[in-house]
Amino acid sequence: MFLIFALITLAGAVALVFQRNLVVAGLCLVLCFMGVSGLFLLLANPVAAALQIIVYSGAIVVLLLFVVMLLNEHQEEAAVRARPLQRWLSVAVLLVLGAGVVKLVAGSKLLKQLDASPMPPAMTLNTLGDALFGRHLLGFEVAGLLLLAAMVGAVALVKRDL
Amino acid sequence: MTSLNAILTGGLQGYILVALLLFLVGLAAVLCRRSVLLQFMGVELMLNAANVALLAFARFRGGDAQGTVYYLFIIAVAACEAAVGLALVVGLYRHRQSTDTDRADALKQ
Amino acid sequence: MLKVAWLIPILPLLGAAFHGLLGRRLGKAAVTVVALGCTLVPLVLAGFALAAVQAAPDRRIDLPYFEWMAAGSLHVPFGLVLDSLSSVMALVVTGIGTLIHLYSVGYMWEEEGYARYFCYLNLFLFFMLTLVLGSSLPLLFVGWEGVGLCSYLLIGYYFDTEVASAAGLKAFLFNRVGDLGMTMGMMALFAAFGTLTVGDILTQAGRLSPEAGFGVLSFATLMMFVGATGKSAQIPLYLWLPDAMAGPTPVSALIHAATMVTAGIYLICRLAPLFLLTPITLTAVAWVGGATALFAASIGLFQRDIKKVLAYSTVSQLGYMFLGLGSAGFAAGFLHLFTHAWFKALLFLGAGSVIHAMHHEQDLFRMGGLRAKLPVTFWTMVIATLCIMGFPGTSGFFSKDEILFLAWHKSPGLYAMGLAGAACTAFYMWRLMALAFWGEPRDAHAFAHAEESPATMTAPLAILAAGALLAGLLGLPRIWGGSFAIEGWLEPALTYGRPFLAPAAEHGGAGLAWGLMALSTAVALAAGLIGFRIYRRGPAAEELFAGRFPALYRTLAGKFYVDEAVEACILGPVRWLGNCLWKAFDVILIDGVGVNLPGALTRAGGDLAALAQTGRVRNYALGMAIGAVLLLWFFLR
Repeated sequence: MFLIFALITLAGAVALVFQRNLVVAGLCLVLCFMGVSGLFLLLANPVAAALQIIVYSGAIVVLLLFVVMLLNEHQEEAAVRARPLQRWLSVAVLLVLGAGVVKLVAGSKLLKQLDASPMPPAMTLNTLGDALFGRHLLGFEVAGLLLLAAMVGAVALVKRDL
Repeated sequence: MTSLNAILTGGLQGYILVALLLFLVGLAAVLCRRSVLLQFMGVELMLNAANVALLAFARFRGGDAQGTVYYLFIIAVAACEAAVGLALVVGLYRHRQSTDTDRADALKQ
Repeated sequence: MLKVAWLIPILPLLGAAFHGLLGRRLGKAAVTVVALGCTLVPLVLAGFALAAVQAAPDRRIDLPYFEWMAAGSLHVPFGLVLDSLSSVMALVVTGIGTLIHLYSVGYMWEEEGYARYFCYLNLFLFFMLTLVLGSSLPLLFVGWEGVGLCSYLLIGYYFDTEVASAAGLKAFLFNRVGDLGMTMGMMALFAAFGTLTVGDILTQAGRLSPEAGFGVLSFATLMMFVGATGKSAQIPLYLWLPDAMAGPTPVSALIHAATMVTAGIYLICRLAPLFLLTPITLTAVAWVGGATALFAASIGLFQRDIKKVLAYSTVSQLGYMFLGLGSAGFAAGFLHLFTHAWFKALLFLGAGSVIHAMHHEQDLFRMGGLRAKLPVTFWTMVIATLCIMGFPGTSGFFSKDEILFLAWHKSPGLYAMGLAGAACTAFYMWRLMALAFWGEPRDAHAFAHAEESPATMTAPLAILAAGALLAGLLGLPRIWGGSFAIEGWLEPALTYGRPFLAPAAEHGGAGLAWGLMALSTAVALAAGLIGFRIYRRGPAAEELFAGRFPALYRTLAGKFYVDEAVEACILGPVRWLGNCLWKAFDVILIDGVGVNLPGALTRAGGDLAALAQTGRVRNYALGMAIGAVLLLWFFLR
């Protein structure tokens, strides 16, 4: 199960990177998020899985696609100048990082240790709600304020005349 | 061998590896694509990678709600950032008729 | 009186300070009064000093004031010494100085820098008196340098003309070369004797016997002579004196005839016992002096500028003085210094009077017939000319003949040079007189406006003429019935420390003396007469001569092209070297590599670094990713 969801996630992500058409890229992103949601489920966190689909695929990607449609630019533009240095250097860096990451994860003793811990009970909305409105009430309120600010800011930024 | 086993069957190492690889793919999208919207999608991928790592660790270290609460906050922030960032993209497009980040180099030497 | 002996040099210094600081504000009358006062009072005091010296034991009064320098084994006192030599010299300096100050009042009255002139002149007196009266060589050297400085200031008095500034600089630089010799001489003397006080040196020297070869003492005295060469314009450092005529004429009279240029002779007289110990140096002194006497006289034969003739004449006469000193006739040399001061100052002041009357015309070929117009000037200059050519009975006659007599005994070659020089002297002096005062006036306009100078200028002329005639009495030789008084007077000073004295050489009988005297007189009279007759009607004859012997004429009139040779061989290469050093070293190395290169490198480095500022987000993100890789590499290896 894990392997399937992991591959879905990574496939969606990689497809996104190579995609020409922006709308198709958005759809690849949705696929990726689905995979992530599945991973959350396997992590005994149905709340997170649900939230992932509702907020991320359902809101953020939709917003993104709105903007794509608004700008009406479905293809990436032709480059002013081809920049091979950037491309090849990026590839090299990514490969190095990738190799490093694999080595790191494979060789980490801590991770092995933690692997052995027992499976906790699944997350429920109740637990989440208790924690959210209990210990993390301040953070919650601040997040609300942040959302308000972002909303106002977004509107202010795109208005033609304030 | 145990590592590979863990990776393949959903042990912590597997989740962390997925998260990190997802992050690298997101980075690739930012580094190698010029369209600002595609780069934004790459940023969302990186954020999700962080979320996966966060929740994986939360589950393997006791499973209390704190990890999920943080996950909620990250989503909130990502949403704000999406809203404002996309507003900026619209503004940029209005100014330059282009979403190519390579053309937006007015701050260069 | 002895309590205020220090006023003799200090009063002119105070006068100089007054003129320098307040002169412009207080006006010409105040300046005149202070200037004359500051020379007259020292003159009176010097007279008293002479009387005191006459009465003193050994005719020497030491006046130490305080310890000036004390470093290790060197102790230099700050004091004056009044002995028979310095008191006479001080009298000469203050006496002729006062007369020239008086003359300058009339000559410089119209000038803009009146106060500045007298400031420098008084300052010069201060330094000269320090030189004369100083008890130690460093103090003498202070005066030595100081008179060089004042000479520079006064030659360059008309500093807004190129000629005067260049001449002043030339004088100073040539003096400097000589001063190097003097410094080395002082160091050698310190090494030999451990002290720089003249009295102590001579006392120690008294115990030594003459050097056989060329040792430390010979080196020291030779270096001292080099210093004297610079100051007293002998070969090879004489080139500055003719150029120094660019200064005002009273300056030429005082500094370049009577006092400063005689400092070299004075120095050698002071250190006479030392020079007696080093026969090699004495021989060098004599031959250089004799050569200079003849050489300079030959150049003076065909100069057109009246002051240049007198300048070369001065160089030549200084050569005679050195000739005398070198023949171990220190008293004779000093006597010629004394008499020369009178008649040369008179000649210069007379020339100044002529120039003043002809409205600053200095070319002899444009003068003529001034006999009737400038009577006082004319007659005083005639007296001076008779003195300088050695007319029997005049002061110059006695001093010059004494020198020639001693030169004969040193070496007949020296006598021949002296005799030839005397002939040239008589010739060019009468040439000068004939061209200026006889014949038809060649510049009618200037001639019409010429008139005798005011009393402030003619009075000193008269006094100097009287002095020129009478000064010879000091040196009346024994064969004339006198006692050669000057020698007796100077003897304690010249033989301080009881030096080794060679047994008095048999100087031949009276017959030889009369014979040499007659020969030199005849030659001089003949040459003078020839010169007078050739030029009585004007310079036409000279042009004929120039046509017949062009090469010879050009060489003599062109001063043997020595200036040009110095320019080509020394100054040119030095300037070339400086130019090269500037181009290679300064521009390329210091400017280019030292200053510009770091700047250029920094700029290039900056330009290189600026390539990273592309303005594109992707590139910056890549930079961050690379940075992250590096950091992770560092921390996780």
